[in-house]
Amino acid sequence: MLLTPEHIIQTVNQIVAKRGTSADAAIPILQDIQQEFNFLPEEALKHVCEITEITPARITGISTFYTQFRHQPAGKHIIRVCTGTACHVKGATRVFDAIARELKLTDGQETDAAGTFTLETVACLGCCTLAPVIKIDDTTYGHVLPEKVNEVMQDFLSKSLQTVQKKAAARNNNSEVMGEIRIGLGSCCVASGSEEVKLELERVLNESRINVTVKQVGCVGVCNQVPVMEIFKPGQEPAFYAKIKPEEVKEVVLSHFQPVGFFNKLKSSFVSSFEKAVVDGEPKSFRKYIADQRDTPISEFLGPQMAIASENRGVVKPCDIEEYREGGGFLPLQKCLEELSPQQIVDEISKSGLRGRGGAGFPTGRKWQMVKDQVNTEKYIICNGDEGDPGAFMDRMLLESYPFRVIEGMLIAGYATGANQGIFYIRAEYPLAVKRINEALLICRENDLIGTSVMNSSFSFDIKVFEGAGAFVCGEETALIASIEGERGIPRMRPPYPAIKGLWEKPTLVNNTETFSLVSWIFRHGAEAFANIGTEGSKGTKVFALAGKVNRGGLIEVPMGITLRQIVEEIGGGIANDRKFKAVQIGGPSGGCIPAEMYDLPIDFEELAKVGAMMGSGGLIVLDDTDCMVDIAHYFLSFTQDQSCGRCTFCRIGTTRMLELLDKIRSGKGKPEDITHLEKLAESTKQGSLCGLGKTAPNPVLSTLKYFREEYEAHINGHCPSGKCLPLITYKITDDCIGCTKCAQCCPSDAIEFKPYEIHAIDMEKCIKCDICRQVCPVDAVEVV
Amino acid sequence: MIKLTIDNKAVEVPENTTVLQAAALLGIEIPTMCYLEGHSCHPSCMVCMVKDADRGNFFTSCAMPVTEGMNIIATSEEVSDIRREALELLLSDHVGDCEAPCTLTCPAGMDIPLMNRLIANSEFEKSLEIVREEIALPLILGYICPAPCEKACRRKPIDGAVSICLLKRFTAQDTERRNQHLKPEIQKTGKKIAVIGTGPAGLSAAFYLLRAGHDCTLFDKNEQAGGAMRYNIDEEKLPREMLDAEIDGIRSMGAIFQLNQAITPDFFENKIIQKFDAVILATGNRINQPVEDFGLSGESEHEIADKKTFKTHRPGVFACGNMLREHEMAVRASAQGRIAAAQVGIYLNTQAPVKKIHFNSAFGHLTHPENREYLKESYLGFPIEPEGGFIAGFNEEQAIAEAKRCLHCDCRKPASCKLRIYSDQYGANRKKHLGPERKHLTKSIHHDLIVYEPEKCIRCGLCVEISGKEESLGLTYIGRGFDVRISVPFNETIAEALKKTAAACVNACPTGAMAFKNQEERLL
Repeated sequence: MLLTPEHIIQTVNQIVAKRGTSADAAIPILQDIQQEFNFLPEEALKHVCEITEITPARITGISTFYTQFRHQPAGKHIIRVCTGTACHVKGATRVFDAIARELKLTDGQETDAAGTFTLETVACLGCCTLAPVIKIDDTTYGHVLPEKVNEVMQDFLSKSLQTVQKKAAARNNNSEVMGEIRIGLGSCCVASGSEEVKLELERVLNESRINVTVKQVGCVGVCNQVPVMEIFKPGQEPAFYAKIKPEEVKEVVLSHFQPVGFFNKLKSSFVSSFEKAVVDGEPKSFRKYIADQRDTPISEFLGPQMAIASENRGVVKPCDIEEYREGGGFLPLQKCLEELSPQQIVDEISKSGLRGRGGAGFPTGRKWQMVKDQVNTEKYIICNGDEGDPGAFMDRMLLESYPFRVIEGMLIAGYATGANQGIFYIRAEYPLAVKRINEALLICRENDLIGTSVMNSSFSFDIKVFEGAGAFVCGEETALIASIEGERGIPRMRPPYPAIKGLWEKPTLVNNTETFSLVSWIFRHGAEAFANIGTEGSKGTKVFALAGKVNRGGLIEVPMGITLRQIVEEIGGGIANDRKFKAVQIGGPSGGCIPAEMYDLPIDFEELAKVGAMMGSGGLIVLDDTDCMVDIAHYFLSFTQDQSCGRCTFCRIGTTRMLELLDKIRSGKGKPEDITHLEKLAESTKQGSLCGLGKTAPNPVLSTLKYFREEYEAHINGHCPSGKCLPLITYKITDDCIGCTKCAQCCPSDAIEFKPYEIHAIDMEKCIKCDICRQVCPVDAVEVV
Repeated sequence: MIKLTIDNKAVEVPENTTVLQAAALLGIEIPTMCYLEGHSCHPSCMVCMVKDADRGNFFTSCAMPVTEGMNIIATSEEVSDIRREALELLLSDHVGDCEAPCTLTCPAGMDIPLMNRLIANSEFEKSLEIVREEIALPLILGYICPAPCEKACRRKPIDGAVSICLLKRFTAQDTERRNQHLKPEIQKTGKKIAVIGTGPAGLSAAFYLLRAGHDCTLFDKNEQAGGAMRYNIDEEKLPREMLDAEIDGIRSMGAIFQLNQAITPDFFENKIIQKFDAVILATGNRINQPVEDFGLSGESEHEIADKKTFKTHRPGVFACGNMLREHEMAVRASAQGRIAAAQVGIYLNTQAPVKKIHFNSAFGHLTHPENREYLKESYLGFPIEPEGGFIAGFNEEQAIAEAKRCLHCDCRKPASCKLRIYSDQYGANRKKHLGPERKHLTKSIHHDLIVYEPEKCIRCGLCVEISGKEESLGLTYIGRGFDVRISVPFNETIAEALKKTAAACVNACPTGAMAFKNQEERLL
């Protein structure tokens, strides 16, 4: 790209013309500049300062605060390695290291010499069930193995060459509709290749002239089985196909539907058998589950669940407003506008016992009441979709799959509290969610659901979308508000609470996406129905992202009070690979680890707090006996330490010092007194930090210290019981070695000499502990000692 | 009006008052660093923590508005602990010396860098004044001091220590200058003090006693004053006219020398204890005169006198110098003489104890890049050799040049830095949270008025706010989290950033991160 000063100035002028010149336009302007140039050229920033109200101090402060912004040109393609929890426990660090090796990056270097790839980490891509995940530009790769990173990059490069993708031609719609095929298009599905499946399906249907409705549905929740395809044919049981591959589509479709016309029939059988012969030899045995069979994994997975926020999952097309209405959507809004007074609405919410789903569990009714009670003509409703927890993707799923439900929740909140403006704050890492919400807002506008006189009432309400720029701390409501105002995302002291003095110092209701998603159901079924679900203090359902070492991961929605055991055993299908259940990490970086002894703990706000964890936004990572708890504590703390805004002493320096202590312990250099020092510092950081991020950052450390102290002590004695902490382990090849040389061929550091038919050995001087040899060994002859 | 209690004291304040302001009304002092009246309040330092007694949580008092019925604990061990923890965390990320290593090493604690800067600035009279705050005998010690300060000098590993000892001698070399301002105009206390012994400890004690307005008589068994300095040190090393000159100075201040006077137990009891208000014993090596002669007993030094106050168990009798420990350096003996003199004043209620900040954030050896940062402010080149040799000492020109070699590694805000003041007050341990690596100290000296040392910054952001109001460029936060720093947008210089508000930023800065380039806090 040509970066002449004229070009830069011209581009900036256009961007500013679109975004405006006020100071709060800074973040969108920066996002646009980066979109254009792939980084933020200094000349561009200076020019922005010249033609807008944005000062050099502000633009520098903001552009260096949010991780999205880059001040150096990046490579042609950007590889983002997800370091979310699920990816971490499945070896994301080794994937990152392998790519860095492949690109020959030295310490601190991000872009390879040729300028082809830039390597970055990303907090969470929200595809936890496909862990470990990497994303190259817009293509997501799941289950990436360190030894396969080269193949992945080659695959990407070869695909990016095929610039023109053939669009499936319109099908003949004259014939009778023979049925419906549903394809999941949540991010996990897309990441696992559902887009390709869809293209192939359209091709197959077009070619065979089979006339069925193809429907894209939102996240089904069985994210560990993606991509999924469901076939409905009158007179047949619905058939559910999981982990379907493009090359299998044809066979599946043809097993349900007859092609139209004799010639086509002939051709199809010919082509399919021919393709079978050339593609892979054997036809893939695809996994087919009949949805209504009681004992299938899918029905077990869905069994103990209860869908409120995710009602009609896998059935509705995200942006189909008619379908949403058919399911009773917008009736609650109408009822509120026509039959209920704002106070009655707030009372109903209070009566339902709904508590904020963002983590802290503040009573929603009380929050609404506070905003309602403010005498002010200008009030705001903010939907907090800045889901940044590694290992959580429920907001993403709700925004992608049920945009109308969230919008309806916001509208009802707006009417109840007297607000006329709403803002979706969605993190930039969720492009599909942003797209869907924008699409849904457009539809709402056309249908008089937003804008002046909503549903022909006197209530007017408008909604905008604000894209976050990559800062976990912006999930904290005051930091989020600062961010919308075009500032660095620094939390502000509360009080004053946003309900009293929020965005632009006006009363502002900030609720989590999931909270808004529950509102419409409450008005459809009544507060009592909602209050009847759950426990004494925690009502209704909670959406969790179940991932880690379970057989079946995915997004689940369960009634409050369900036990851990039910979640892991019944929904998750138990621990994968016959390992032993050790703990669950719940609540992400603010939460804690709950040990196996508390398997029967009912999950609600109070019970979790009692055991030193918290609901958080609902990440639920299952850990088995191969997971090291010191490593887990280190992992979460390194996340919060990295995401600290840097404002207050305890969070800025305290988390750093704690992390250094954990590092020391993890590498076997710790002393017994380091454990007590760590514990005390964790306590004071919890007490002394200004906002929720710092106050909860020590939780993973404190809870692992509480339940797994002996693991810390083992590390002090130079031993990592789970064999996870690299400085404390070595690799060994046992006598089982058959001399196949695979390990020697794969070893990136030449630590294994190539000796066909001999027992191999590892030179520990050269070994970088990348674990590749152990993974490629066909006879499990590589051991960690 | 809102009623609340702080430390069990009730107070009534208008709405929108903060807990900090309410506490101030009750006279309860709460430390603050990032808070500054008249500026927006975004708590960051967290040293103003108090506890909500009812809820059990801690919060920053500077930003918390009072509410009806609040019950606040602002003074308790728990509250002190969390404030101390905040200070200790800040200290773990604070790279800078409060006092220079030379000052910390000097047994007398002389403000050596300040002396150097005054010499470099040709303010010779003032430099002598600074020296005399801790050193009574700069001329004599300028010959015989083994100069431990020079071994600690940060310049030493670079290209040789600053010749501190010679510079100190230089301040007192000129006879006229030396004899000026020996004694400040001060009201007499009417107290009579005896000093036994006229070595470095005794002479030093006499010097400070006289300066404090006491009458002072020195006793010595020898026919000439000077003790070990006269009788044990070669004349080639310490020219006798120098010794005499400095003793004459003390005599001119009004000291009475009673020489050839052996102090027998009898004489001590009847002629000294009976007739003087207090006594300072500085008789040197105990082989020559046992402590029992003065009604004292004990072998080790702390059995004879208190280590800090030099009080013996006899009221009004103080002991210092070599009689406490043999082979003490003259400079240490003289320092003890000064302290004993001050303690006499406290004992006699003629002077109040001086509050001194003891806390120091000494950060250890400099790295190579840090050497370069420090050299920015000083003359390059090896130590200057005195033209006429060691005995002749420096002439003015040489002294100025040598003094300019000083790296100015002491803090520019030793007296006003709040981090130092509170660390001292709360007994903070600088090393408690030290990480495996410290940041590298840098100095930005391109502004005419100020020096900016980012590694001393606590990220309070007051300067960002102040400069943001008036400057076109100003300062900003760069980055976030542990790596966040305050700097200038677009890599411009501090001089560009702070064209109008530099002084205001310095005044608001709670630490030595931003300081006036040429202001000496000690001389204000």
